[in-house]
Amino acid sequence: MSDAILLQGCDLRKTYVLGRAEVPVLHGASISVEEGSWVSILGSSGSGKSTLLHLLGGLDRPDADSGQVLYRGQSVWEQSQRAINVYRNNDIGFVFQFYHLLPELTVLENASLPAMIGETNESGLERAETLLTQFGLGHRLHHKPRELSGGERQRTAIARALVNEPSMLLADEPTGNLDEETGGEILGVLKELHQDGLAIVMVTHDPSIAAQGTETVHLRRGLIE
Amino acid sequence: MYQSKLTIRYLTSRFIPLIAVAAVALCVALVIVVVSVMTGFLNMVQSSGRTLMGDVVVTYGLSGVPHYERLMDTLISHESVAAVTPIVDGWGLLRMPYPDRDAKQSETVQVWGIDPHSFPEVTQFAESLQWKTVSENQRDWILIDAIQEHEHDVLTQLNEEDREFVIEHVNNAARTLNFEPVGLYDTIRNKLPEEDWAYILALDSRLTQDGDVLAQGLSLERNGKPAIVSGLHVSEGNERQEDGSYQVIRNDYWWLPRYSGTLTMLPVDAQGGIIEPESIVMPFANEFMSGVYIIDDTRIFVPLHVAQQLLHLDEAEIVDEDDPTEVVGVDPARVTSVLVRGEEGVDTNELRANVQSSYLKFYDEMPIGTFVMPPPLGDPGLVIQTWEDQQRSFTGPVEKERELMRTLFSIIYLVVAALILSIFWSIVFEKTKDIGILRSIGASRISVVWVFLQFALVIGVAGATLGTLLGWLITTNINAIHEALGNPPISIAIVAIILGCLTIAWMIKRSRTGDFLPIVLGTLGTILFACIALVVFDIRAMGGLVIWDASVYYFSHIPNDVDWNAAIVTSIGAVVFCLIGAAIPSAKAADIDPVKALRHE
Ligand SMILES: Nc1ncnc2c1ncn2[C@@H]1O[C@H](COP(=O)(O)OP(=O)(O)O)[C@@H](O)[C@H]1O
Ligand SMILES: [Mg+2]
Repeated sequence: MSDAILLQGCDLRKTYVLGRAEVPVLHGASISVEEGSWVSILGSSGSGKSTLLHLLGGLDRPDADSGQVLYRGQSVWEQSQRAINVYRNNDIGFVFQFYHLLPELTVLENASLPAMIGETNESGLERAETLLTQFGLGHRLHHKPRELSGGERQRTAIARALVNEPSMLLADEPTGNLDEETGGEILGVLKELHQDGLAIVMVTHDPSIAAQGTETVHLRRGLIE
Repeated sequence: MYQSKLTIRYLTSRFIPLIAVAAVALCVALVIVVVSVMTGFLNMVQSSGRTLMGDVVVTYGLSGVPHYERLMDTLISHESVAAVTPIVDGWGLLRMPYPDRDAKQSETVQVWGIDPHSFPEVTQFAESLQWKTVSENQRDWILIDAIQEHEHDVLTQLNEEDREFVIEHVNNAARTLNFEPVGLYDTIRNKLPEEDWAYILALDSRLTQDGDVLAQGLSLERNGKPAIVSGLHVSEGNERQEDGSYQVIRNDYWWLPRYSGTLTMLPVDAQGGIIEPESIVMPFANEFMSGVYIIDDTRIFVPLHVAQQLLHLDEAEIVDEDDPTEVVGVDPARVTSVLVRGEEGVDTNELRANVQSSYLKFYDEMPIGTFVMPPPLGDPGLVIQTWEDQQRSFTGPVEKERELMRTLFSIIYLVVAALILSIFWSIVFEKTKDIGILRSIGASRISVVWVFLQFALVIGVAGATLGTLLGWLITTNINAIHEALGNPPISIAIVAIILGCLTIAWMIKRSRTGDFLPIVLGTLGTILFACIALVVFDIRAMGGLVIWDASVYYFSHIPNDVDWNAAIVTSIGAVVFCLIGAAIPSAKAADIDPVKALRHE
């Protein structure tokens, strides 16, 4: 069972258009993630790691001549808008480098937001609270994000990513904005989640952090090597 | 539902929603006030004509319509006509009885000779009369006048002790009632024996029947003499109060119905030449206020027969040119116009057509061989007009203004709509990143847009409601506000100066930390308060500022009825523009891929 392929990116291409100039970033990158694995994507800054992860997470559209993103064998971008929403909401959890929390909502509300949006599970609030407590934020539930440290914000973002019990976590340099110690804490959290069977795709430019995963791939010149 | 939660959080966070509500409210209030005043103004222009001249007017210039009684009988017999009244219209010079010597003495007045019985049936003459009863001061002045006028008779009536008492008190009152109430009426009543008091009361009927002043106005008669009812602005003695009512200066010392005036008119002969001027001294019975400034400023009413005599429009014998002793016929009495009021619900243009055909009938039915014939219908001097037509010549410029106002209204609406749109546009634009976050965790486009629609709906409804309330408050109190603006109390300047000093102190204290914002805010605040104080001083130095000049705008009041149609349309419009302003940018942000929205800073 653990060999089954969960997520696959085949021949992914992405070119940004800046006015007249075209900036090709991905030239046909392919990657596959098995259930329960932890894949680290290692690449230098600007190599297109975030771009790749966004394509995998259904947050950004690949080029027209690109290959596909397959989730459990199903093409993500060829589905209906509604199905893409469900994919984002329910199947994956996305953690951004810059947390991206809603400033007007409390920590608890931020963490339970995907559950409220999905309306799939009534107990979203409880699960959010459990997760936050588990991440050591039990005393911060009703604070606003701006009252939190970077590490606390990132843990809130991870709780949000996990609240709908996704089968996979996509993390874009989750420690990139944190000091070493706090970053280490976050990695500890991810490690625990992985041990509980969650598949993780993590992007980083730091080989020592990448080494935390079970598998490391390199992104260079728009290709996975 | 996450949308409601998020909407509530957006609404309760920081200042922006409050500012948005305030902005919407101010816009709505602005439109309501402007539109209400302007429509009120136009309505007043329209309806004032009706108050003063009925629905249809038959006029025959200088020489007047003969056999007008016959004409009136013919007119009234038509079923669409409710009432008719004759008018003699001419210009005259009224010598004013101002009690202080250096006051302006004569006024040019438009004299309307009216028939007191039928005039109130056609116009709203009765409602327009200013003095319905006499005040205490006015009664004391009447008493002083009566005793001084009949001094000899009164004194012989009284015993020696009472005589001295009355002389002393009346003389004192005549000097001091100018400045403060004296209660002369009660003082004398308490002193005199009943029969002496009754003797004094009998000198002027207004002493016992305080409604008599109104009755005298209606009958244009005082103490059995024909009397004048003059426009409220004709006399310099009537002073407008802050609440829009009028008071007579110096404790009613200048109250016109105490006095008499001399009216001089210039009659014109059949060839249009001027004959010897005629004068008559008449008491003032009452004053009227129609609300139309130029009428209240120049018009006086006198009994019809007085005006006819002064203008030589009364019945006269016609003598042979060669032998002045031989009477060859009678020139009948004439009036310059006949006013017609239609029955309820009759269209004025239809009424005018009916009046025209009645006139034709009147002309055709004149007995054969009538010595002096009325003018035929085609006579260019004979004009049959509706009050709207008549108004048009009188307020032609206002019609032009109305067009201008329409254009201005649409511009104001556009500006307000653009303002509301841009407020919401910028609020939602600022939330583009939030929309990216919501979309990246699986929120649908519609649900994201719905968050902002709810937000806009709440702000729009709250703003429109507050704005309507504010607009209503301002509109209904606009005369008082105008008065206060025109003559701002010095206390405002003092408060502004104190606030300005406090701002400077605050700024000095805060600027020690080296922050720049307090300096900017403090400087702006100080300038603002200094400007307020300066403006107040300036206006006071000019002796008050009159924005609504009655002589320019025809009316002495600023219209203060809320135009509820406009209020409803404006409120709905404001909410709609809030929704549009929120829907477009939020839909735009929801349409792009989440990553692009997330990049938005
Ligand atoms: N929306 C965009 N428009 C234009 N260029 C972009 C855009 N997003 C990313 N890029 C460019 O694509 C390249 C890869 O970006 P990114 O995927 O963020 O790299 P990484 O995450 O590896 O640092 C960079 O050169 C970046 O400037
Ligand atoms: Mg990146």
